[in-house]
Amino acid sequence: MILNAIFYFFAALSIICGIMVILQKNVMHSVLYLAFTVLAIAGVFFTVQAEFLGAVQILVYAGGIVVLYLFVIIIVNLSDILKEKRKFFPKLFIIGISIVFLLEAAYLILKNQFPVKTGVESGLDIKTFADVLLSKYIIPFEIASILLLAVLIGAIIIAKRKLLHDSD
Amino acid sequence: MIPINHIIGLGLIIFVIGLFGVLFRKNLMIILMAVELMLNGVNIILAGIGYHFKSPIGSIFAVFVIMIAVAEAAVGFALALSYFRHKSTYDLDEISELKG
Repeated sequence: MILNAIFYFFAALSIICGIMVILQKNVMHSVLYLAFTVLAIAGVFFTVQAEFLGAVQILVYAGGIVVLYLFVIIIVNLSDILKEKRKFFPKLFIIGISIVFLLEAAYLILKNQFPVKTGVESGLDIKTFADVLLSKYIIPFEIASILLLAVLIGAIIIAKRKLLHDSD
Repeated sequence: MIPINHIIGLGLIIFVIGLFGVLFRKNLMIILMAVELMLNGVNIILAGIGYHFKSPIGSIFAVFVIMIAVAEAAVGFALALSYFRHKSTYDLDEISELKG
């Protein structure tokens, strides 16, 4: 029962902070609310017994991506960001398409009962996780490392001020 | 035991908040943040499914999703920075031509 209470607390916190992320005028405030959202979602992961995922969420998102956002926003000049305006009809369309998607998916979820199947790998502890990840899913794991290397090189080349073959 | 419908509903709400942010805002930084919110909603759904089925595969897929999110954030920031040097704005209505 206490676990359910903790889950609903973190769920409400993540929803409220997530709404605040996209409603803030100032980009810096959005980044701070994004940090709150990510930490609340890490709490949700801890309550559904995905401890490794929660730790990775805190390390990678709150420690890496949010700090990267802060650096990029500090680098550029914040003073020349324009006011955003949308016309009425696209605004109505966007709100409508979000609500329609939410209702459709909520209907499908509430209709389904999610019966528990047996016969899959059982156990939620770290040891089972590591065994399955490093035996059955070892090839996607290695491909992901190649992807990260390619992203490292590509991001450096794109963000470089001048190309390599320029004279200066 | 937390009901599976509530976990998936939470992930769905976070995903729709992110979708709304991507469609509604015009600032490139906030759109990238909204994409992170969408990926986080998918992660909640994957972790909840793994919790429901007592299987580690949900967490494994969520770890791969986090890897993809990091890659997307790095490349997105590099593109945003290099475009900001050309145009000095983050407004998406200004970023409407393909020629750099």
